[in-house]
Formats: sequence, structure tokens, C-alpha cells
Amino acid sequence: MKVVPSRSNEWVRSVTPQKPASAIIEIDRVSQVFQTSTRKEHLALSEISLTIEEGAFVSILGPSGCGKSTLLYIVGGFVSPTSGAAKIKGQAITGPGLDRGPVFQEFALFPWKTVLGNVMYGPRQQGVRAIEAEAQSRALIEMVGLKGYENFYPKELSGGMKQRVALARTLAYHPEVLLMDEPFGALDAHTRTRLQNDLLNIWERDRKTVLFVTHSVDEAVFLSDKVVMMSKSPGRIRQVIDIDLPRPRRRNELLLDPRYQKYVVDIERMFDESDETGSPS
Amino acid sequence: MMSPATLTRRIAPVLACVGLLAVWQVASLALKNDSFPTAIEAIRAIPDILGDKEALINILASLRRMAIGFGVAVLFSIPLGLLMGRSRAVAAFFNPLLMIIYPVPKAALMPIIMLWLGVGDVTKTLVIFLGVSLPVIYHSFEGAKAVEEKMLWSGAAMGLSPLQRLVRIVLPAALPEILTGCRTGLVLALITMITSEMIARQSGAGNILFNALDMGQYDTVFAMIIIVGAMGIGLDAIFERVRARLVRWSEPQFDMPLSFS
Repeated sequence: MKVVPSRSNEWVRSVTPQKPASAIIEIDRVSQVFQTSTRKEHLALSEISLTIEEGAFVSILGPSGCGKSTLLYIVGGFVSPTSGAAKIKGQAITGPGLDRGPVFQEFALFPWKTVLGNVMYGPRQQGVRAIEAEAQSRALIEMVGLKGYENFYPKELSGGMKQRVALARTLAYHPEVLLMDEPFGALDAHTRTRLQNDLLNIWERDRKTVLFVTHSVDEAVFLSDKVVMMSKSPGRIRQVIDIDLPRPRRRNELLLDPRYQKYVVDIERMFDESDETGSPS
Repeated sequence: MMSPATLTRRIAPVLACVGLLAVWQVASLALKNDSFPTAIEAIRAIPDILGDKEALINILASLRRMAIGFGVAVLFSIPLGLLMGRSRAVAAFFNPLLMIIYPVPKAALMPIIMLWLGVGDVTKTLVIFLGVSLPVIYHSFEGAKAVEEKMLWSGAAMGLSPLQRLVRIVLPAALPEILTGCRTGLVLALITMITSEMIARQSGAGNILFNALDMGQYDTVFAMIIIVGAMGIGLDAIFERVRARLVRWSEPQFDMPLSFS
């Protein structure tokens, strides 16, 4: 296991031999200050620097309140950082864009649209003809395992199904980067496991860049190429860990793999050792 | 065959109306007051009113003013309410103005408006407009405010401009709440329609009602009350059909029983 310490917030990636490093997202000394209700200033993120390569599955792992979602919102362009800057493919991020597709814990589906209507929304907005958009969307709905539910409304679906729709809706407009904000956080353990498996299967087909926020160590290690460990108050990067496990990953094999177990145990220990926060999840 | 639950639901409103008329009949027979005709006498007077061409023209004129006042108010109020719900600056500007107008009975403004605009259609329609606007603005405002931010973010990520987000996300997401406001607005439209015609006697359903009152034709007075009430039930039923169709996606799927037996 390679543990790459964050050197004074200026983290430099160790190049993996099989893939040449090509940064898609660069986060440069980003800080975020919030006004609390008592008019005090709360430093949510402090001088975060991080580079994410194209095609990498990167998890941001940390306890609640460490600003990990805020960091994701900054990359999404939904929140502007107080200082510092984030870039995508060398361009400064000034707002949301089609190149970055968010998937939220709250699903954020359009309740007045059916499953098909939700998935078609993005392509239609891009001017894809209705017939084509529908064909593509039906294929995506099938891919996320919801064939037969095309004409259901979101209120008629379970949480796990809603998140599948949300994933299909985002994939439908082909963003280059998926921004996933604790997407399985609101789901029960069983559903969560199934969605993790399915997400990996889908991801391993086309290897989009994924930035995945979670507070679950297992989830981060199982899914990621790289885990960014954060600590809170103020939110800082503690450590970036490369997860050197073979792909395609299968849960039943991985859970028995001593390397997987060591990553999980080591990361949990590192969180335990920190006096500030304790273990996430 | 209808299920017992459906049957009960269908019969309930009929039962309510018949019950009300029965109580009225008994009460007026017991009171024996000249100015309180029985339900049957009032119902008998209805065909005379509806058969009279002059009266029909009056009632239709009322409905026309109401439709225009309601329609213009809805078209004006929904965009304003939505903008207020999504922009703190717009809300901060309009909220105090609306709070000043809200408690004032709209009919109380009539004499002033009559001085400016006369006793004609414009004055009455304007009063209906004022009566309808406030609840529709308020509910649109609340509905727009409650729209989940992440839903708007999702739209922004798909490339929707701010205006598109307002029209294509905030409007549909807030629609159930907006329609609640419109329903209140519809009832208020009916009320302001009658009161405006009470103050500016010239034509309309309210005019027939209050002229009959002046002349002591109490059966006509009560017949008009029934007609206005029926108009209320009818308009509300039409509105409810439209509403149910528009927001089917948000309705609860099951009946909500108080007990489980």
C-alpha cells in the first residue's frame, strides 16, 4: 500500500505506470468560509489542492461536517469558493456545465416527470430529437435495471430505484465527470450494496472520471482508484491513498482479499488516531 | 359495480346538500318569518329567474367579469409569486406592499375606484383582480421558495438558463401549491364579484339579489343565494378536475384512513 502524505496541501500525484497522467480537474488552494447563524465565520474548507486524472474513480472520504460535499459543489460550479480556484481541463470553473453531471443524495428528480421523462430531460434540452432521446433513454433505463418502470412517477419508486433514475438521468447527457454526493447515503445497507455493484459495472464499461463523496470507508475502498481522506474543522486533506486493487472488482472476491481488508483497517485506524474527529461512518 | 368506498364518496356530497336544505326547511317552518322563506319556496323561484332573459344576461355578465378578473389575476400573480420565491430582493420589495393590501377588504376600495373609473365593468373586474391576486401570489411565493435547491442545480447542470429554470423547474415543482392558491382565489373571485355588484348596482347577479332584497322579494333573494352557491360548487368542481389532472404526479396514492379495521 502506498500512502502518499499530503505535503503542505500541495499534493502531487505519483504517476501510475499503465496510464499517463492527464489532469481533468485541478483544485488549487480552495478555501470556503460560511457565515453561521450567529454571524461567526466558519472555515469549512482550508486551502484544498487536489488533482484528478481523467478516467479515475476518486472518493472524498471524511466525517460529516468536513466540507467534502462543499468541495464537490465547488467543482460542480454550484458554489463559488471564498478563495482559490477550481479548473476543468484547464478552464476555470465559473458555474455548472454539461461536462460535470451531479448525482445527489436527495435524488433531486423532477417529480412531475415519469422515469422516462426524467432521463430524456437532458438530451432533449441539448436538442436531441425526441425519437433518438427516447431510444437512448430507454437503453439507459434498462442498463440501470429499471426496464418496465419507464412510465412510473418518482413518488411510485423506492429510494434505490430513484437513485438509479438519477444516475441514468445524469449519464443521459454524457458528462465527462460524474460528481456523486453521498449518492447511496440515504439507502438501506442491502440496496446500497447492490447499487455499489451496479455502479462499478456501469463505470467499468466506459471509465468516466468520478468524484465520489462518502463517509463510508468500505464504500470508498471498494469503488475507488484513489481515496482522499479529509479531516474536519477546518476541512483539510489529511492523506491521499492509492487503492491498488485489480479491476474488474467483484465484491465476493474483494471482501476476502487481504489487501482490501488492510486498506479498510488502515484507513479506519488513521481516522481513529486523529484526536479531532474519530472514525467516519 | 362500484365498491362501497367509492359509492360512499359519490353519495356524500349529495347527502350534504340535501341535509342542508332539510335543516333550512325545518328552521323556516319553525320560525314562521316573512323574510325567511322555506327551502321549497326558494327552489320554486329559481326557474323564474333562470327563465328571465334579463336575469340571465345579468348573471352571464357577472361570470364574464369574474372570468376576466380571475384570469388576469392568475397570469399576473403566478410569475410575480415565483420571482419573489426565488429572489430575496424581489421578495423584500413586494412583501411589505402586499402586507399593506392584504388585510384591506377589497370591496372597501370600491368607492374610491368608482370615483376614478366609474361604476362599469372595469371597476368591478379590477376589484375581482385584487381579491384573487393576493392568495395566488402568496401560494406561488411559498411554492417557489420550497423548491429543492438540488433540483435547480440538476437543471443548471443540464444547461438550463435561469429563466428556463424558473419556467421549466420552479413552475411545475410549485404547481400543487400554486393551484391551492388559485382555488382560494376562485372562491374569492365569486365573493368579490357579488360584493362589487352590491356596491355598484348596475348589472349582475349581485344586483338581482340586492334589488330583490330592497323590494322584499325574499324567495328571489334566497333563490339567488342558491344560484350563487351552485355556481361556487360548479366552478370548484371544474377547477378540481383540471387541478387533479395537472398534478396527478403529486397526489397521494392511497386513501388516508383514520383507523385501520
